Amino acid sequence: MEKEFVCIICPNGCLIKVEYEGTNINNIKGDECSEGKDYVKNEITNPLRVFTGSILVENGDFSLISVKTHVPIPKKYIKKIGEITRRIKVDAPIEIGQVVASNLLNENIDLIVTRKIEKKKSLSS
Amino acid sequence: MPEREVIIIGGGAAGLAAAVACKQKGIEDILIIERGDYLGGILQQCIHDGFGLEKFHTSLAGPEYAQRYIDQVKEKEISFLLNSMVVSLTPQKEVIVVNNNGLTHYQARIIILAMGCRERTRGAIGIPGARPSGIYTAGAAQELINLKNYMIGEKIVILGSGDIGLIMARRLTLEGVEVITVAEKLPYSSGLPRNINQCLYDFDIPLLLSHTVIDIEGNGRLSGVTIAQLGKRGGIIPGSRRKIACDTLLLSVGLIPENELSREAGIILDNITGGPQVDERGQTNVPGIFACGNVLQVHDIVDNVSLEAEYIVEGVAEYLEGKLNKEREIKVELEKGLRHVVPQTLIRFKDTIFSFRVNQPGEKKVLVFTDGKRVIKKKFLRRVNPAEMIRVKLISSELEEIKTLKVRLV
Repeated sequence: MEKEFVCIICPNGCLIKVEYEGTNINNIKGDECSEGKDYVKNEITNPLRVFTGSILVENGDFSLISVKTHVPIPKKYIKKIGEITRRIKVDAPIEIGQVVASNLLNENIDLIVTRKIEKKKSLSS
Repeated sequence: MPEREVIIIGGGAAGLAAAVACKQKGIEDILIIERGDYLGGILQQCIHDGFGLEKFHTSLAGPEYAQRYIDQVKEKEISFLLNSMVVSLTPQKEVIVVNNNGLTHYQARIIILAMGCRERTRGAIGIPGARPSGIYTAGAAQELINLKNYMIGEKIVILGSGDIGLIMARRLTLEGVEVITVAEKLPYSSGLPRNINQCLYDFDIPLLLSHTVIDIEGNGRLSGVTIAQLGKRGGIIPGSRRKIACDTLLLSVGLIPENELSREAGIILDNITGGPQVDERGQTNVPGIFACGNVLQVHDIVDNVSLEAEYIVEGVAEYLEGKLNKEREIKVELEKGLRHVVPQTLIRFKDTIFSFRVNQPGEKKVLVFTDGKRVIKKKFLRRVNPAEMIRVKLISSELEEIKTLKVRLV
């Protein structure tokens, strides 16, 4: 089978032409770095994406905090993780990299925070 | 009047990188002036990942990328003002700032313009029809959804395939909203191919090329839009009109560098980029006023904004040491295939990074630099796309003996 893939790993967005059977790549053209080949391999077998979204924060100087999965996860779980994030709430202060939910969908998927949120300054202080 | 060595207008990606670079060059007296209530600018609302691949060799979310610079600004004790708006800038580099303390005048030796962009609106593209609520620019929607916790609608049409619109299509889908389609007036997308792939195709959102919105309906709230296909000359193809019921229209139709202050300071702007005309280190026609980031030219990747800021600071440091002297004046002339170039003029003999955008997509192209007769440099490009900025470095020896510089894409 012949197929074209646009690599999403970096902004170059290489257009990669691949001939493959099942999960065996016979011929690959257009990948400008080794990441491209790995990307295509994954796309054929098990496409991976990093989920990014936001969750509610209590007592923070912002009401939302941005999160991402700690590693790229199977694409089929992306929407489900989206649904889960709409129900999670955390308390400020929070530091970048802090884990706010772990082992989601029993698939070893952790959500980590990508923004630093400080505790809301109370009006009286 | 308080005096400052360097005043940076804007505390977003460009301003932060410029400030850190200034400090690394040994410049001590720096002030960043930011009108918003946090540093980091638009990065803070860009919660998707993919930032920092070039600069930090890892994929970061926007706020993570911003925080790397904010941490450095704080470590290096660079001073900054938040909630502070520059309301006036003169060619003598006097700055008037307004904030909660009232008006403050500053005198700077150097100004770095880093004000970024604003979005084109419905008014700018002239879509006819009713004037209901439910029409947002993509960036405004991004701020509402990612920072302020407001949802903007339930059934959404996106006009324009700029990167922010594509990112928002995915974001809205993951928040449980229906994105019906993305319509793009041009026969090719104005966003990066990888974003079309991971933001639209991953979620089966159709991209309609050569389509635009020609009517808006709604009394109070938007109730629908009419889209139509456009022919080669931009006219509506008869019979292609189609009504789509929706409650929200998102516009991702381009960015405008915010140069009102620059104009007031007598800075000459480039009609195509919308940013100041600059020399090889980002200096405008007003000596000591430099520009970098999206206020200079719209970038597709923030890493390039940071790199550009660091690069122009070389010129800032030389200016402060009295070493930035005009040695010549060569205007960079574009021949065919190219839409814009930065820098527009060369005044010294230095290694120079040129940024270009092409007029239309193409394959197997060559970028050719000549002095009018002799070819100075050629660069082969496997693919070109108006959405992707081309950056090419010429070293000083290649630029040494030339009297003119012409560039074309063949």
